[in-house]
Amino acid sequence: MGLINKYGIYSSLVEKNSEKIHHLKEMAIYDKSVVSKRCDKKINNFIKSKELEINRLEFAILDLNEEVGSRLVSKMRIYNKFDYWARRFIIQRMRLRKYSESSVSKYETRLEKLNKHKWWFESKIRNCLTKQLSKYIVTDEAQKEEIRKSLVSLKESSKVEIEKYTKDIRKIEEEKISAIEEKLSKRIIKPQMNIEKYKEVLKTLKNDEELLDENIVLKVENLTMQFGGLKAVDNLSFEVKKGEIFGLIGPNGAGKTTVFNCITQFYKPTKGKLLFQEKSGNTITLTDYVVHDIVKKGIVRTFQNVEVVKEISVIDNLLVAAHSQYRSSLFTQFLHLPSLKKEELAMRKKAEEVLEFMGLSLYKDWLAWGLPYGILKKIEIARTLMNNPQLIILDEPAAGLNDTETAELTKLIRKIQDKYGCTILLVEHDMGLVMDICDTVCAISFGKLLAIGTTEEIQKNKEVQAAYLGTQEEE
Amino acid sequence: MEMKQYNKAPSMMFKKDNIIKQVLRKIINFLKSPIIYFVLMGIVLIVLGNLANKKIIPYSMSKTLATLVVYGIISIGFCLLLGYSGLASLGTAGFVGVGAMVAHIIIEKYPFYLYLGGQAINVSIFIALLGAIIVSIILGMFVGFISLRIEGMYLAILTLGLAEIIFQLLENIASILNGTATIKVSSSNAILWLTKLDNASKCALVTVIFVILLVLTQNLINSPTGRAMVTMKNSTSAAQAMGISLIKYRLLAFVISTVYAAIGGLLYITCVTSSLSTTDDPLLSLNTSLNILGAVIIGGSKSLWGVILGVMILFGIQPLFLNEIEFFEKNPSFMGLVSGILIVVIVMFFPGGLSQLFLELKLKVKRLFKKIKERMYGSY
Repeated sequence: MGLINKYGIYSSLVEKNSEKIHHLKEMAIYDKSVVSKRCDKKINNFIKSKELEINRLEFAILDLNEEVGSRLVSKMRIYNKFDYWARRFIIQRMRLRKYSESSVSKYETRLEKLNKHKWWFESKIRNCLTKQLSKYIVTDEAQKEEIRKSLVSLKESSKVEIEKYTKDIRKIEEEKISAIEEKLSKRIIKPQMNIEKYKEVLKTLKNDEELLDENIVLKVENLTMQFGGLKAVDNLSFEVKKGEIFGLIGPNGAGKTTVFNCITQFYKPTKGKLLFQEKSGNTITLTDYVVHDIVKKGIVRTFQNVEVVKEISVIDNLLVAAHSQYRSSLFTQFLHLPSLKKEELAMRKKAEEVLEFMGLSLYKDWLAWGLPYGILKKIEIARTLMNNPQLIILDEPAAGLNDTETAELTKLIRKIQDKYGCTILLVEHDMGLVMDICDTVCAISFGKLLAIGTTEEIQKNKEVQAAYLGTQEEE
Repeated sequence: MEMKQYNKAPSMMFKKDNIIKQVLRKIINFLKSPIIYFVLMGIVLIVLGNLANKKIIPYSMSKTLATLVVYGIISIGFCLLLGYSGLASLGTAGFVGVGAMVAHIIIEKYPFYLYLGGQAINVSIFIALLGAIIVSIILGMFVGFISLRIEGMYLAILTLGLAEIIFQLLENIASILNGTATIKVSSSNAILWLTKLDNASKCALVTVIFVILLVLTQNLINSPTGRAMVTMKNSTSAAQAMGISLIKYRLLAFVISTVYAAIGGLLYITCVTSSLSTTDDPLLSLNTSLNILGAVIIGGSKSLWGVILGVMILFGIQPLFLNEIEFFEKNPSFMGLVSGILIVVIVMFFPGGLSQLFLELKLKVKRLFKKIKERMYGSY
């Protein structure tokens, strides 16, 4: 490997351009969704207006007295309640003073007054209603017949009209969408040309680095991490296949989290090689990159002790996770120009989708402060999904969860693998979970590899049993 | 079955959405945006400044208001640094001094004129603003690059030392330029376009810049950058894992706060006092940095309105209220006691600052309304 890796530079250029294309495509998808939404709204409004016309005529045929009566009941409901309480009050008083005739007669006159008032109120409202409704309801029988006839024809004609209108609108929608696509294809031409150009250059160059097989995502080779005199990870090597769930197990202090930190470049490993295959099929050496560039390469991780930002809302947490996908400059952010707003809306939509997938849409606008631990863990996992990752690294996802939550998590991890098609690498102490979902398990102890294989092989392995339970001689 | 459909009054059913209602809804939505309140506050401040200039309210008010607004500008920059990025700096006063020095050099020493139609138009304030921004960006980048690799207390101490260096530099530059340690922008030189600045227009100028900066800050806070800063403050490892470059955003926050401080210094020397002594002026000392830290913490370090309130309390209580009371006029040393007690009380009972207090009040009022509603409608 030379000092300057030309191959790496050109491949990164290719990637930058493909990233640009991806961004443009995503924006175009958002634009299309907006256009179709608007068209749907237009059609709905048209249908509603037609329905209103029909309703108006249908209303005109109704029987006036019946309609008034039914409306009167609902109008009088509140009055009746007050009336009931007033009567009850008076009757109670009457019972208390039933021996003095004068007061009883007084209360009786009051009750009569109430009755009168009720009758008066009812008649007034009835008058009002008839006045209101007679504007819309026709009383003449001959006219009604006419309306009935016209209604039939109107219903048919409105059906035809709606069909025609929807056709027109769909046509316009298609035109708009095709215009968006045209614009997109025009914009894409330049980066695509660039990609082809760089790819041709790449063909002439020889890659100094080792290429990974197509079905291998991550290759760890002779990884050693030394803190002072302590070797936290010692000559560890393993391979993670594409699309599998890979479990890393080991007793406390075995160096599992250190391995993760080395992969995500939180620690720079003292020795060893870390090869990773990107989504584009490009192989990179992870140690060449800085911590905050690892996300762009397609590796996202969660943390052992949840690191959800508690000062901002749940959806904002997800938007933070998508931070590397924002392309608007600082200037647009200072002025909140429309381009930023569009980007933000598109991201928000994506975040809402992820939240719904995780079953967290209830907590969308809640502050993360004070949410239960299980939900915080879920938010952490949701954050990883915002980046369309190639490899998800879960650091003890089931720590601190109860049995039902763990069972739920198992289902969730399977679901994630099905929907997003990504490889998952996890550290876990819960053996039930590991044995349930992992395709391959790697056991380490004191930084050294003990065994690697399927779950059954690991369960039968004697060295692993010894590391977990101790040997008989020790007792 | 069909009866339910017509449960609405027919007049309501057939009417389309009223145009007046639509317009009203739009106006209400517009009023809900936070920017409108900043603009309203600006208008109120400008009106107050004008009233003071016409001696309807005490004449000294306009100067006091200008001072408060300048401190407000410096504090919102510091709020971005402390409340959003979690970096504590004690070097604010140094950068204020830099802004003042740029103003002195450009406005007083080498004023710029624009010749339009035979008229000499003075644009030196704009040039000085631009110059202060550029100088402070360069200086902030330089200082930040040195100091932002460390955090917490160490950063505070380091910036304190750097501010001391800047003070010494300013003193030397002032003595080279003038022969004395004072820098000044005399009122005859404070000309905006063609008009000489009187007290009211000075207040207005300061307020307009304050409102613009507030709006910009609010926008930045509600954008990806603001969120990245909050994440960085809460958990550095999560921020790095999400693809946020620590040094980039720390530097950004630091540079923004430096720019705000420099603008504050420039406005202070042009609009509040005409001369500043670089050796023993209270503005150019550790005192200012500490006061601004105090104002931001009292107000609630994560809310712009809170910061404005904090500035009002720390810098405004003395000239606005206490000066009117006879006892404090006789014993000026007791004034510090009052603000000290206020700080202690606020920090003890409302660790989230004044913004937390108002939030709690808002919640209580909401609950009260809910209770009243339940009493009214919930009984049957």
